[in-house]
This record gives sequence, C-alpha cells and structure tokens, in this order.
Amino acid sequence: MYVSPIREPLVTGNKTYKKITDEISAPIEGKPGKAWYAGITLTVSALLFGLAMMGYTIWNGIGTWGLNKTIGWGWGITNFVWWVGIGHAGTFISAILLLFRQKWRTSINRSAEAMTLFAVMCAGLFPLIHMGRPLLGFFVFPYPNTRGLWVNFNSPLLWDVFAISTYFTVSLLFWYVGLIPDIGTIRDRIKSKFKKWIYGLLSFGWTGSAKHWQRHESISLILAGLAAPLVLSVHSIVSTDFATSVIPGWHTTIFPPYFVAGAIFSGFAMVLTLLIITRKVLNLENYITVGHIESMNKIIIATGSIVGIAYITELFIAWYSGVEYEQYAFLNRATGPYWWAYWIMMTCNVISPQLLWIKKLRRNLVFTFILSIFINIGMWFERFVIIVTSLHRDYLPSSWSMYEPTIVEVGIFIGTLGLFFTCFLLFIRVFPVIAIAEVKSVLKSSGDKKDKSEKH
Amino acid sequence: MRRYISAYFENEENLLRAAKDLKEKQVSIQDVLTPFPIHGLDSILGFKRSNIPTVGFISGAIGCILAFGFQAWAFIVDYPLFIGGKPHFAIPSFIPITFELTVLFASFGMVFAFLIRSKLGPGANNPIHDERITDDRFMIIIDLDEGGNQDEMVKEILAKEEAQEIKVKEIEK
Amino acid sequence: MEDKYTLKRKTQYGILSIAGVGILLLILGYFIESPNRQELWANVLINNLYFLFIALFGGVFLALHKIAYAGWYTALKRIPEALTKFLPISAVLMFLIYFGMHDLYHWSHEGLHDPILEGKAAYLNVPFFFARMAFYFLGWIGLTYLLRKNTLDQDLNPDLKYHKRGKILAALFMVFFAITSSTMSWDWIMSIDAHWFSTLFGWFIFIGMFVCGIATIILLIAFLKAQGYLEYINKEHIHDMGKYLFAFSIFWMYLWFSQYLLIWYSHIPEETAYFAPRLKDHTVLFFTVLIINFLFPFLALMTRDSKRNLKWLSFVAIIVLIGHWLNIYMLVIPGTIGNEAQIGLVEIGFAALYLGGFLYVVLASLTKTPLLVKNDPLLKESFHYET
Repeated sequence: MYVSPIREPLVTGNKTYKKITDEISAPIEGKPGKAWYAGITLTVSALLFGLAMMGYTIWNGIGTWGLNKTIGWGWGITNFVWWVGIGHAGTFISAILLLFRQKWRTSINRSAEAMTLFAVMCAGLFPLIHMGRPLLGFFVFPYPNTRGLWVNFNSPLLWDVFAISTYFTVSLLFWYVGLIPDIGTIRDRIKSKFKKWIYGLLSFGWTGSAKHWQRHESISLILAGLAAPLVLSVHSIVSTDFATSVIPGWHTTIFPPYFVAGAIFSGFAMVLTLLIITRKVLNLENYITVGHIESMNKIIIATGSIVGIAYITELFIAWYSGVEYEQYAFLNRATGPYWWAYWIMMTCNVISPQLLWIKKLRRNLVFTFILSIFINIGMWFERFVIIVTSLHRDYLPSSWSMYEPTIVEVGIFIGTLGLFFTCFLLFIRVFPVIAIAEVKSVLKSSGDKKDKSEKH
Repeated sequence: MRRYISAYFENEENLLRAAKDLKEKQVSIQDVLTPFPIHGLDSILGFKRSNIPTVGFISGAIGCILAFGFQAWAFIVDYPLFIGGKPHFAIPSFIPITFELTVLFASFGMVFAFLIRSKLGPGANNPIHDERITDDRFMIIIDLDEGGNQDEMVKEILAKEEAQEIKVKEIEK
Repeated sequence: MEDKYTLKRKTQYGILSIAGVGILLLILGYFIESPNRQELWANVLINNLYFLFIALFGGVFLALHKIAYAGWYTALKRIPEALTKFLPISAVLMFLIYFGMHDLYHWSHEGLHDPILEGKAAYLNVPFFFARMAFYFLGWIGLTYLLRKNTLDQDLNPDLKYHKRGKILAALFMVFFAITSSTMSWDWIMSIDAHWFSTLFGWFIFIGMFVCGIATIILLIAFLKAQGYLEYINKEHIHDMGKYLFAFSIFWMYLWFSQYLLIWYSHIPEETAYFAPRLKDHTVLFFTVLIINFLFPFLALMTRDSKRNLKWLSFVAIIVLIGHWLNIYMLVIPGTIGNEAQIGLVEIGFAALYLGGFLYVVLASLTKTPLLVKNDPLLKESFHYET
C-alpha cells in the first residue's frame, strides 16, 4: 500500500522484524528495575488502603460516607462515571480508529485496551460497594427467584448493569483475540520451561497459519464494528442514569453524545499520562513516537472542544428554555457554593486544551503530560459538578444541603487508583505493551524511509 | 506416505512471489505460517472469504430476539407491574438492554466460531515448525507427490526466491 | 483521459425537465389544492434547509478529511467542492424567509403577551435573527470559497504551502461550523416550535446533514462514472462511501433515539408537547421516517458486497435522500401548518423545482475546473487505494 512521503513515519530507527520482536518483548524477559518495584509498592499500598476503607464501609454501612438525604450520590458515583469514561479511549482507539484505518493506533491500542479493562474493573466496584451489601450484588441480574419478581427493565440503573458487563466482556474478548498471536511470540521466545507452558496454554496453540490470520483479521474488523456502537452505547446509558430523571441540570437531551465525547476525551488523557511514562521507561520511543503523541493530542482538542460546545449549549438552552429551575441550576453551578468545582472543570476541560492548537505544544512531551493530568482532574470535576451541584439545591429550599466526602470515600477512590496502576504495572511485565504483529504489518509502509533503501 | 517440503523466507515479498509461482504450477501449498497477516496472500492461496461475519449476524440476531422477547414476556405476561407510569410494553425502555445483548451474543458467537474453526483454544497442541515463525520468518509448507516428480521444480522456485533451510520431510501414515 | 466534465445537452434537458415538471406541478397544485401562504412558506423553508444542508456538507466533507489527514478522498475532492457552490444561492433563498417570517415563526409576531417567549426575546427577535443568518452565510461562503480557491491554486503550483494552508482553513471552517451548525438549527428549525427546547437538537440536525451529503456525493460519483469520468475511483472508494452511509444512518438513529428516549422517559409536558402532535397527527410519516432513514439502510448495506455495488448503493442513497427530506418535513410542518398538512402536488412541485436548480448549479460548477485535483501531496494515496 502506497503511503505519501509527507507522512511522518510511525516506527522510527532502523527496525527489522526481529528488532521489533526483541525490543517489545524485552520488558517481559528482563528483570524489573528499581522504578518498577518502587511504583508497585506505592500502588499496592494505595490498593490496600482502599481495601481497608471498602471493608470499613461494608462492615459499618454507607453511613460512613458523607452522603445525606439531599445528596444521595457523591464521590462513589462520580468515580464510577469517571472510571467508565477513562475506559472509553481504549475501545475508541482499537475499534473506531481501526475502522477509520488510522495506522498509528497499532502502537497504542494494546495498552489502551488493557487500560479499558482495568478502568472498567475500578468503575464496577463503586455501584457494588454503594449497594451496601455487595454479597447480594447478584440481585441485579434477572434470574428466577423465590419472590417471583424480575429486575426492573425500565430502570436506567439496570441498563447500566447490562451495558457495563457487556462492555467489559466484549472488550476482554477483543483484547484477548488481538493478544493471541503476540502470546504465541512470547511462547516461542521464553526460556523458562514453566513460563513456556503457561504462555503455550494462553496462546491457544497459535501457529501463524495463513487461514488463521485471515479469520483473525476478519474477526478483528467485525468486533471493531460491534465495539464502535457499543462504546457509544455504554456511556450513553451511563448518562441516562441522570438524564431520564427530572432533576434540573440532569435532564437534558444532549447528555448521551456529550458523555461519550467527554469519555473519549478523558480516556485519551489517561492514555497519554500512562504512555508518556511507559515509552520512556520501557524504551519504546521508536514505536510510540512524538507523532503518536501529537495525533492523540489532536483527538484531545477535538473531543475537548465538543465537550466545550456541549457545556455552552447546556448553558444557553437552560436560559432559552425559560424554565426557572433549569436556569437556577446552571447559575448555581457557576456562582453557587460549589463555584470552584465548576471553574476547575471549565479551566481544565475547555480552556487549557485550546493551547493544543499550537503545534509546538502538541509535540511537547512535558506540556502534554501536565495537560493530561489537568484533563484527568477536570473530567473528574465535571462528574462531580453534574452530580453534586445538581443535587444539593433542588426544588425544595428547606432541604438544601452541602456535601463533603469523608476519608472513607476518598480512601476508596485512592484504592481504585491503586488497583488501576497495579494492574497496569503487572500487565507491562506479563504481556507485550505494543501489538507486535500489528506494528510489523505497518513497518514496510510506515516505517522510517531510510531502512527501505538499505534492504535492497 | 506423505511427503512435504518446508522452507522459510526472510521477506514477505519473496514469499508472495514464490507462492504465486507455485500456485501457477499447480503445486498444492499445505500452509503458510507468518508472523503477521500478509496482504494479498489470501487471494494467491485461493481462500474463500471467511464466514465469521455471518456467524456474527446470526448470533447477534438470536441475542436481539432473546433479549427483547424476554423483557417483554417478563413485563407483560409473567409479572406485569406499573413502574413510573410507563406502559407494560415500554419499547424504548427495552432497547438499551436489547442492544447490549445483541452485541454480546454476536461477539461470543464470532469468537467461538473463530476458535473452533481454527482449532485454537487453551491446550490446543499444534505443531510448531520453527520458533521464529512468530518472530521474523515466513514459512511455507508444500505438499509433494509421492513419486517425487515435483521436487526439483519446487526447490528451484524456492531457491530463486532465496528460501532458507529447504527440507523435504516424509511422514508414514 | 478527459479531465473536464462537460454538461451534455441531454443532461441539461433532463435538469430542465425536472424543474419544468416542478413548475407545472406547482401551478396545478396552486389551483387544485389552493394552498395558503403558510403552506407555501413552509415548503420554501423545507427545501431551503434541505439543499442548504447538502451544499454545506460539501465544506464539512472537505474540511473533515483535510484535518484528519485523509488521503483516499483526494481524487474525488471536486465533487464536494462543487456542492459548496450552491451556498450563495441558498443564502439568497434563506433571506427570502423575511417575507414569510410571520407565517413560519410564531415568535416573530408582536404583542403576544407570552411570558416564555418574552423571556427568549433577547435571542428570538427578527433583527438579530437575520444578523445571525448573515453571519453564518458570510462564514460558510467565505471559508468554502477559500478552501476551494486553495486547491485551485495548488493545481498550478506544487508548493507544499497550499497543503498547510488548506489544513488551517479546514480547521477554521470546522470550528466555525461546529458552533454555527447548532445555532442555525435552533434558529431556523427549533424556534418553529418556539416553546420547545432540546440541547441535542443541533447535533441531530448535523448528522442528518451528514447522511444527506454522503448520499448526494455517492449519486454524483455514480452519475459521473456513468458518463465515463472518474475512472480512477475504484471499488474501495465506493466501499468507503457506503460505509459512511451505513454508519451515519445508524448514528442518526442513535441521536434520534437518545432525544426521544429522554423526553419519553421523563414525561415533562413542556417537552413531550413536541412529539405528541407528531405521533398523533402524522403517525404514518413519523414511523416511515425511522424506517427509511435507519432500518432500510441498516439492512440494505449490512454486507460488504452491498456497499461495494455502486448501483445498489445509489438506489439506497436515493431512498435515504427521500427519507431525510421527509425528516425535515416532519421537523417543520407540525409547528407551521399543523395537522392538516399533507404531501401533495405543491410539496412535490417545490422539491422538484429546487432539485432542478440545485443540480444545474452543481453540475455547471463541475464543468469549470478539471475533475481531478493536481499536486495534492496525498493524491497518489488515493490512486493506490486498496485495503
């Protein structure tokens, strides 16, 4: 396939197929460095702290949280939506960018999809804990029971159960199908007998036969075709948790697509946060190039601007609607007691990404890293603003109230951060961070032009 | 007795040319093993298009009907309840779950079809001809006739495309 | 290789007869159906919007692919460029609405004593309405003119600076369009039902525009190919256009459903007032629009072969184009004419007249420049296009 010379190479440095295999599998074969041990110590401690707080919540009940009668949803649901949103970038990269034939996805899809899985795991914890009695969590599934009742199919919260569990399962399938050939590669390289057996089992007996590749390509494409509407549906359904209600600030029709745009926006920020460090530590700068970072930054600015337009649309329509509760909800967001949350959200999500219109900044790693943290924070506050500020002053002024998280809620959030990063740190030692086979397949067309001339 | 010849290339372009030549000479290629999917190899080897999309459609349709049917049955027939002023047969409410299960069924259907048809799965014990197939070697395995009439011609084509380790193997059956 | 399209006599007659039939039907309809002023103006608005959307999409198509760094579309760039040439005429037609304001927009009446509309008066007032309209058209026409001029300059000069300038222009257009596409749909469509509001509305209109535009480009490709041009457009290009039509029809349905579901579910009278008359008085049309615009393309284009077959794809495109005309009809009619509205000779006549004019402008502007761009650094990718 012809690729115009004005395009930036996707794989730099004179790479051969062998070099690609060697360099990407190096982290699995080598011993982890000091940084890795330091990292995992930190993340596991955060996880343990979170687990303790979860145990405390389950033992003593939801009363240990800062929720009250007016504000029934606080940090827990904020974190849930935040984590689900972060997951969306992985599916977007692997599915939608595959359909749009964006070859630069090949270097980042594997780790982004892994991130999806871990983020959805973290997200799923919150509703489970929020139930108060997680051991009865299976009540959410429709199974024949002695009460003769079914679950409420009219409830958006139940749609969530199906959406999140389907999303996790399909992402796992998609991720694993893509991993099979690469696990085969590791199996054929690894020296230790025991590890070879394990990887052999996990590789499903992959041989690289042409017929298998043909089916593999076909299934990847169709799974992408299914995952693309799936990713839209998941955050849309999450948004219906709010938007089907009659709460001013929650009930607005733009929520489904706007949540999806916000999800992809925050997910890309998290991908950047992780990959800017990963590429450095694992010496993958030739695969995740500055060009890749720039492409991701372009998606950040596009989705960030869509989110910005959605904010302004909401504001304008709140005024235009003439509904006084709606008008007050938005005025209260910007100028009420939680004004700071609103302005953190606006600054981080709408204003700061606009700096990416400058090409120099798009290609600046330090700037991008800092910005990605900003966006992570901003998107967390977006959900906080939507949930808490819409709830805390509702139709009845006598029940107006304020919300403050307790250390327990904060602790659980820190715990999920610990879980997420622990999973990611384990992942980079066990599976190839970059899809080896996919990178090889774009090497000839999009590798550095220099090494082409050397070959023949 | 079955006889076959195996060799590997270091470059997918050589492989493609060799496969094309061999096919033109009516030689039967048993398998081609590569580290990544080679564009255009399917058509040279004369593969039919994969039926996986059809499997996906059928299993998706099953999921769709099951999910919608079940929700409707549970809420109209089995235990009708008034919830939030919605009708029993609340079509818009049933759509999200119907969609999710359609996708879920279609994905599972396709992945299982892929694994079963390709005889892949945990514990599948397929022979590994060369450990560097999953690294940088493009291997071709060619069936030979029992008489050995094709041997020279096949070897010549392989050698012309710089194939390495051209080996003839025989298996008693 | 013929590099310029010539408008053949036969085609000219064809276009003329479409417009002629339109005029004939209009005259007949005028006497048989005796439409009132409101119906006439509603028809003007429907067709104004419909053909404006298609023309405007030309700019969106160019700009989106330019900023996405796409290579495959470069060989068919001239078609969306030609679409944008209809924008100035759209502008004139839109300003004609001035004479029909009172028939179309309830809020434009004075002395209504409606507290809700008084609350909106800062936005919904006639001078500001037309000021905004002027602003939109200035931006759209100006930026699409510059986009087109840039590629024409590039034809003469292989300098890479045109490529870079094109990207900047495309980004500018997209930013301008992102804002104005929402506001224009509030202004021109949502304000017909002046009490009603929906935040999603602008995006819903945008995706409808996307589908119409893609369908039109598919038909123009089919037409030009049938005339023996565009031999370099292969199955892969067609396949991609088919995928667009397929995917965005689904996306359109997703937005439609999101809006409907939330309004249906919350059941707030101010909001359901929008869907109630549409469901009650136009039941058949209401569901027809969904079937034609979603179910039909979804099933018809599901397989790979169906997207690669230009004849079949063109057929689907025609049906979808009719479906989206009906969609706009459904957006405009209940708030203007109300439940007596019917699609008759007048409606078909207006649509045919507009169609004739639109086709003439687009095809005539295709003859002005070579059908293939030159010197685009990504052009070669478009020729060697395979998957």
